[in-house]
Formats: sequence, C-alpha cells, structure tokens
Amino acid sequence: MLEKYLILSAILFSIGTLGVLIRRNAIVIFMCVEMMLNAVNLTFIALSKHLGNIDGQVFVFFVMTVAAAEAAVGLALMIAFFKNRESIDVEDINVMKL
Amino acid sequence: METLVMPAINFAAIMPETILSIVAMVLLLLNVFVPGEQKAYLAYLSLIGIVVAFFSVVSGWNAPLPMQEGFNGSVLQDNFSLFFKAIFLISAGLAVLISDHYMVKEECNYGELYPLILFATAGMMLMASGTDLMTIFLGLEVLSVSLYVLAGYNRSNIKSNEAGLKYFLLGAFSTGFLLYGMALTYGATGTTKIAKIASAAALDATLSSNPMFVVGMLLMAVGFSFKIAAAPFHMWTPDVYEGAPTPMTAFMSAGPKAAGFAAFIRVLMVAMPTLKADWSDLLWILAVLTMTVGNIIALSQNNIKRMLAYSSIAHAGYALVGFTAGNGEGTAGILFYMLSYAFMNIGAFAIIILVGKKGEPNNNVEDYAGFGVKHPVLAMIMALFLFSLAGMPPTAGFVGKFYLFSAALKSGYVWLVVIGVLNSAASCYYYLRVMVYMYMKDPVEEFDWMKLSPAIWASIAISAVGVIVPGIVPSIILQLAQKAILL
Amino acid sequence: MAMNYPILTILIFLPLAGALALVPFWRRERWAKGIAMGCAVVELALAGRLLFAAAGLPAASGAPGGYFLWEDHVWIERFGIRYTLGMDGISLLMVALTAFITLLAMLVSWRGIRERVPLHYLMLLVMESGIMGVFLAQDLFLFYLFWEVMLIPMFFLIGIWGHGRRIYSAVKFFIYTMAGSLLMLLAIIGIYLIHGARGGNYTFALHDLIGTPLDPGTALWLFAAFLFAFAIKVPVFPLHTWLPDAHTDAPTAGSVILAGLLLKTGAYGLIRFGYPLFPTAAKAVTPLLLTLAVIGIVYGSWVAYAQEDMKRLVAYSSVGHMGFVALGIAVWSPVALSGAVLQMVNHGITTGALFALVGMLDERTDTREISAYGGLWGKVPLLAFFFLLFSMASAGLPGLNNFVGEFLILAGAFRVTPVAVVIAFVGIVLPLIYTVRLVQQLLFVEERRPLTLPDLSLREGAILAVLALTAVYLGVHPAPLLGLLKVSVALLTGGLP
Repeated sequence: MLEKYLILSAILFSIGTLGVLIRRNAIVIFMCVEMMLNAVNLTFIALSKHLGNIDGQVFVFFVMTVAAAEAAVGLALMIAFFKNRESIDVEDINVMKL
Repeated sequence: METLVMPAINFAAIMPETILSIVAMVLLLLNVFVPGEQKAYLAYLSLIGIVVAFFSVVSGWNAPLPMQEGFNGSVLQDNFSLFFKAIFLISAGLAVLISDHYMVKEECNYGELYPLILFATAGMMLMASGTDLMTIFLGLEVLSVSLYVLAGYNRSNIKSNEAGLKYFLLGAFSTGFLLYGMALTYGATGTTKIAKIASAAALDATLSSNPMFVVGMLLMAVGFSFKIAAAPFHMWTPDVYEGAPTPMTAFMSAGPKAAGFAAFIRVLMVAMPTLKADWSDLLWILAVLTMTVGNIIALSQNNIKRMLAYSSIAHAGYALVGFTAGNGEGTAGILFYMLSYAFMNIGAFAIIILVGKKGEPNNNVEDYAGFGVKHPVLAMIMALFLFSLAGMPPTAGFVGKFYLFSAALKSGYVWLVVIGVLNSAASCYYYLRVMVYMYMKDPVEEFDWMKLSPAIWASIAISAVGVIVPGIVPSIILQLAQKAILL
Repeated sequence: MAMNYPILTILIFLPLAGALALVPFWRRERWAKGIAMGCAVVELALAGRLLFAAAGLPAASGAPGGYFLWEDHVWIERFGIRYTLGMDGISLLMVALTAFITLLAMLVSWRGIRERVPLHYLMLLVMESGIMGVFLAQDLFLFYLFWEVMLIPMFFLIGIWGHGRRIYSAVKFFIYTMAGSLLMLLAIIGIYLIHGARGGNYTFALHDLIGTPLDPGTALWLFAAFLFAFAIKVPVFPLHTWLPDAHTDAPTAGSVILAGLLLKTGAYGLIRFGYPLFPTAAKAVTPLLLTLAVIGIVYGSWVAYAQEDMKRLVAYSSVGHMGFVALGIAVWSPVALSGAVLQMVNHGITTGALFALVGMLDERTDTREISAYGGLWGKVPLLAFFFLLFSMASAGLPGLNNFVGEFLILAGAFRVTPVAVVIAFVGIVLPLIYTVRLVQQLLFVEERRPLTLPDLSLREGAILAVLALTAVYLGVHPAPLLGLLKVSVALLTGGLP
C-alpha cells in the first residue's frame, strides 16, 4: 500500500517541479511550489502511518505553517513587483542580466 | 515521594534565539510609535539585543551536556553551534551598523528592517543547533522568509523587487527538494532525529544501499547546495546579491551562508558517516565546480556587487574543499573561514555603501577610479579587505585558506587542492582590478557625496580588526574552532 | 659584541613601523620623506654594524651550524608554526644588500617622484620589511608570509608610479609570481604533512624538515613546485617573460629594487630552501637547470643586444646575469655557490647603478631610446664616466665586481660540466658586445638631437660615487665577503657532491 502513496507523491512532486521550470507566471510558479510541498506532506503522512510513528505528522504541521508564511511573504513581494512593472511574468524579471 | 519528571524543555539551550526573538517582537511593536527620522533608535536597540545574545553565547561555551540539550533532543547548543552563533551575531551586528546609513540614503528607512534581521539571525541559530531535521527545517524557513523580505526591502526600487521575487521563487523551490529529501530519509530510518539516523545507519548496513535513503541524502544535498550557493545551484545568487539593498547583500553573503554550512555539516557528518566515501566524492565535484564557476564568471564582472556575489560563490567553493576533506581539521577550517569571511566581506560592502550614491548608479569598478587619491585611508582599508579575500598574508583570509587547503591535503585530495590554489591565483585578477582603479587611475569624481557616520566607521574598523588580528595571531580563534568541531 | 636585543626582529619590523608612522603624514611630503629616509639609514647602520662585527660573532646557541644570530619563539602552536629568524653569512650579505639598495632606491627617486610621495616611501619601507623577512626567516610558513608580503608594494610601485603599460605590467607581475608562490605553498604544506605523519612532529621549522625522508616521486613534485616559484623570481629562462615588462614600466626606484633585490630572493630561496630540503630531487633536475641557466645566459645577452630602449636592455642583461647565478646554484659546489652569492650582491650593485643612471637620463630628457642620445662624453663628463664604469662592470671587466662572481661560478662549474662552461663563455663575450655598442652609441657617437642635459647633481654624484667605490672594492678585494660565506656554503654543499 505504501508504494502507491509514495509513487503518487513522487508524481505530484515531479509535476510541481516541472511546473516551476516551464510556467512563466510567478503566481502559477508559486502554486507549483505549493504542490511540491504538499506532495512532500503526503509522503510524510504515508510514511508516518506505515512506520507507526508520529514524527511525520508533526512535520506536516510545520510544513503547512511555513507554507502559509511563505505565501504571505511571497504574494506581498509579487504585489510590490507588480506595482513597479505591472506584470508578474517571470520573463519580466530581467533588469539585471548576466 | 516521587519526583515529578519535567518534560525535557531546556530554555538555556535556545537562550540566544529567545533573546533575539523577544527583542525583535518588542522592536516590531515600538516601530509603530517611532517616527521616520528616529528609526536609528531601533538600530541601537537591536544592537543591544545582539550584544546580550552574544553574551549568552559566550556563557554557554563548554557547558555540560545536559545544559546543551533541549526540547527532547531537538536542539543541541554545543560548541559547534555556539561558534556558528557567534558568526551569525557578528554578521548581524555589522549588518545593523551599516544599515541605517544606507536606508536613510535610499529613503526606505521603514524600521521593520531590524526586527527582520534579528528574526533571520534567530533562524540561523536554530539551523546551527538543530539536531532534528524538523528543527533545521524550521530554522531554515524562519531565516529564508525573513531574507525574502530583506532582499526585496527597497520596495520602490525595481532591482530590489526583482531580487526579492527571484530569491523567493528559487528559495521556495529549493526548500521543496530539501523537504522531500528529509521525508525520504525519515521513511528509510523511521526518525527525524539526526543522532538516531546515525545509529540506524550504523546498525543496518543495508541502509547505505537503500535507494530511499540515498535519494533522500541526494535531495537534501541539493537543497543545502542551493542555500550555500554551490554551483550548479548558484544561479539565484548574482541577481539577488546585486538587487538586494547592499547591507542585506553583505548580511546574506556572510550569515546565511555560514548557517547553510552549519546544517549541511551536521547532517552529513553526524547522520551519514557510513556514506562518507559517497558524499566525499559528491562534495569533491561540487567544490571544484563551485570554485571554478564562481571565479571564472567573476573575472568578467563590472558591477562590484555582482563581482563580490560571484566571488562569494567561489568562497563557498573553498569552504567545500575543507568539507570534502571530511576530517576535524576541515570542519575547524570552515568555522575559521566563515568567521573571517564575515569580517572581510561585510567590511568591503561597508565601503561600497559609502561610495554608492542614491540608487547606486555608481557601483561599477570604473567608479572607483582615483578613490585611493581622494580617500587614502578608506582605500587602504578596502585594499586590506580585498587582499584578504584574495587570500594574501598576513590576513585572516590567508590563514583560513591555508587551514582549509592543508586539511584537504591531509586527507589526500591533492588535485582538489591544486585546483583550489589555481583558482585562488586566478581570483587575484578581479580583486586587483578594483585596486588598479582605486590607485592607478586618475580620479574622475570628487567623492564629495560620501558621508561618514560613526556607525559605519565602527563597522569598518571592527571588520578591519577582524581581518588583521586573526591574520597575525590566529592562535586563539584556532583553538576555539578546534574545540568547536563535531566528533 | 653581545647581541642582547632582538636585532633581527628590529631589522624586519623597523621599516614596517616607519611605514605605519608615515600614515599620519600623508599630506606632508617633507616629513614623510624624512621619516622614511631615517628608517632606511638606521637599517643600513644596523646592517653595516653586523657586517663588520660578524666575523667575530660566536655561533648562536640553539641554532644549527653556521648561524650566529638566532631568534626563536612559538607563533601559531596549533600548526607548529614558529617565529624563527636566523642569520648566517649568506643572510647577512643579503640583508646588507637590502639595506643598501633600499636606501639607494629612496635616494634615486628623491626628485623623480612627485605624486603621492608619502605613499611611495611607505611602499618602499613595506618592501624593505618583506625582503628582510625573506632573507631571515627560518620557518617555512614565516618565509612564505614575507614572500607574499613582498609582492604587494611592488605591485603598487609599478602600477602607480610606472610608465607605459604600467598597469598591465603590474598585474602580470603579480599574477605570475602569485601562481608560482601558491604552488610552493602547496609543497610547503606537503612536506609539513609528510614530516608530521612520520614522527608526529608537525612543524614548519626549516632545520627540522631538512632530511625528511621522501620517496623520489614525491620529492620531485615538491621540489618542482619550489623550483617553479623561485625560478619565476630569478628568473630562469622560459619563466622570465614578466621581467622585461615589469622592469621597463617600473619607476626607477622600482627597477632598482626589482633588479637589486627581488630577483635575489628567488636565488636565495633555492639556496636556503629548495636544495637543502630536496637534495636528491635537486640532483635529479640538475641537468635541466644547467641547460636552462646556460640558455638564459646566452638568450638574455642576445636579446639585450637587439633592444632600443635602455631600460629594456638592462632588464634583459639581468636575465643573462641571473643565468650565471642559476648556473652557480645548479652546480652546487662550494666555489660555484660562493660565486653565485657574490654575483647576487654584485649584480644588485651594478644593475642597480645602471637603472639609476638610466633613470637620471630619463628624468632629464624624457626618453630612454638609445638612438636619441649621443656625445654624452663631451657634454656631461661625470655622468658619462659613471655610465662607462658601470657598463664595464656589468660586462665583467676584470678588476670590477662582476668579474669575481662570474669567474668563481665558471671555475666551480668547469669541474662539473665543461660543456656548459664553454657555452657560458659565449655569455661572457656577448655582454661585451652589447655594452660596447651601448656605450659607443650613448657616449661617443656625435650628438643626434640637441638635448639639454645638466650634469650630475651633488645628490646623484654622491649616490654613484658610493656605488662605484663599492664596485671597485668588491672587484679587487672580495676576500672578506668570501670569508663570511665560507662556513655556510661549506655546510650547505656538504650534502651534495
């Protein structure tokens, strides 16, 4: 049973990663990051259940809290960026070049 | 009568973190009532907090084991973490000292800056003393979330916006990898406690070939590499360092990088000694790539902040050389190097802040033409920092590099050290370039906009002492570093 | 004479203290000059006193054989690094040369440097400290430290007060030497670790490390790193390419110090560290070093002949002369080695004087093209006389100083490699050709361009007279110096056939 959960979360994690790499809208990218984090949460819960040990579940609570804090800060940064550039397309994050 | 068994919470083990957090929260409240032109008082208050925390760090040195442990073994304030905490506090203190000047000049003196620096420092401390993957993760996030804001702090400046947003997206992305790695390690060993992971690995020899464990380790390594800006996970660094407000660039390149190393070292050295051969190979590649990429790209940079960003990548590479060595010398070398690097880098950035005009249109190397003629003393101190970064004796940078390289040689990594040394020689070129402009070109500007405040003088003086004294009499710090290494 | 104060430490740190004392005077040129000159004079007095007293000094207690002054303190205990200074005959000669040449460099730039004067003297003083340290350090780590410190002021001297492509030359000089010395640092750490792993005694003390048993392969690699670093400085042919650039673009004081002192540190390093630490490896590469030395002698003189710029000519002639020194070291017999050390001193004096003369001409007319001059003999007889004298000394005229060194080197080498000596003889003849050409073009050909040339000032005349007296004295009566070298050279060469 464990394998199925692990495979599912691996797939979710990969979709999230892929999304970060190919999407261009900062908010969508952020949603993909959230998806990665939730894939990890799923892994933790499945493992916790499998191992009969509560550490994984505790970890999930922390991840959720942190994700909420990140969302608050991240969206604020996007708003600040939007105010100056009127876009949240990552293609427009280009004032500084190599 | 039976004694009551207290839960194993020991606030002494997180005393510095607690102090900083409390001060930070008080400052947040006070900030509401302090008018714009008096935000400097917040800086002084936060300095007091940092000094008090520093004393608590000093008093915790060599404490007996029960005093070190806290929260049921999730944090361990051992000498290793205390040494790192001292580095964090020093970089935070110097960052606060150079901030006021800059924030007034750039007209973004909002006051939340100081609490954020303190929160970030508390996060770093938690990373250094965390002995549970959970604590490390928590510390890392407290740090990162504060840093995202600090990078984008100058909210009317487009470069700063970009820096913040970019840092946020890539930082959150890398956190995903780190977390996944932690989850898999948990799955393979059934615990998130580093010590228990180590004993699980010691008991079960098959663990080192368990794909879940190996992939978990790899993903964690990727996550930490992002945080210490090791190539090929360094792409975010130059943009973030260039765009962020300069005091925060200085802070980010010193403190958080050291924090990343602290957690990385603890996880690899304590939890996975059985896999040492594997991660040494991995680190070897990482070190070579990081040094070489950092130095080569730094050669072609014109913007001095960006150049120092790439150079900071290269410096992470030198530290990785010591890490690859995998012996006590290597770890002590990293401790020493991170401390020296904090001084020399923040010192150099302090002078960059002084020279910069509003909006920093003059951060190119050419803008330093004739600086040595107009401001001989400041230029001489800048030269000192640059020589230290280049690893010339008699500076702390030289002793640190010497320590790292000799540790790696001791473990037999001759080629790694040869590559490191050649890199170090190549790096001279771009540090020399700044000096060429400072001393050997005729002045274009009068540098009359520079305003020297006592705070920035203090930060420059402290940094200069921190570069020169350990370069000449390193014994005391070497002994402290030696006592601070993990087994 | 009882030495109950740390005279070696004073020799090293007095100039540094003087340099720091200059900082408050960065707007007052006269004061700065005065302080710097005072330091240099005291240094020379100290060195001179040692030079005259040395013959009577007993061996220092606790020191290896041949050393009559010794200071030893723990410095960085963690790594077994000691603050060890020692002076034997070779060091003494080099220290005296350093004090002498530094003072000379200050005097020749007395009027020539007009911008940022205090900084210039500060750099010269830091330089003196570094070079003194190199010649006195008996601990590899300490030696390396001074070795690197030496680089910094020279970089600034060339880059700030130089001519032409000064920045390019300064950076090239810095990176070139830095690459070499960093590899040497690796070798230093290498032998430190090998020695420590064997007996558990981790130390950088030179005289503890001498005799560390090494397997031949390792020894060869370690020696190669040392050789590379030192050969760049000497410079041994094909590693000389930084030298003409650095010399040509350096200000007069910089050229004088480069030729007079910095090149010597390379040769000194080979004598003090390279050969004693790795005798077998050194023996294995002797043929290579001999070949390169001979090529350097011939090549340097050959290229010097083709130069139009006087400074470049003198610079290339240095490559040739230092080839002789390299030859003497490669032969490693008592006679040749004494010759090599003597030649180091002689070359410092003659080439220093030649650079000073070229600097004086350059100051007067703003050109260093040979073809711009002519008929100096009639116009400025005093200057012309000294020019002739030092050119002849440089060409190895008997009775003048260079002759003695070259003769000893060749005499010593003849027993080992007659073939090399025969070729090197070409190297004695070639300088005569280019020197005669130079002297003829400059002094005796008819005046080609009307140049306003005042003759030597009192200051310049005094500098040159002192140098000339030294050159003549060393040419006719080198015995006291050879006497100073005798013990150290015998001890050093005892290990090698």
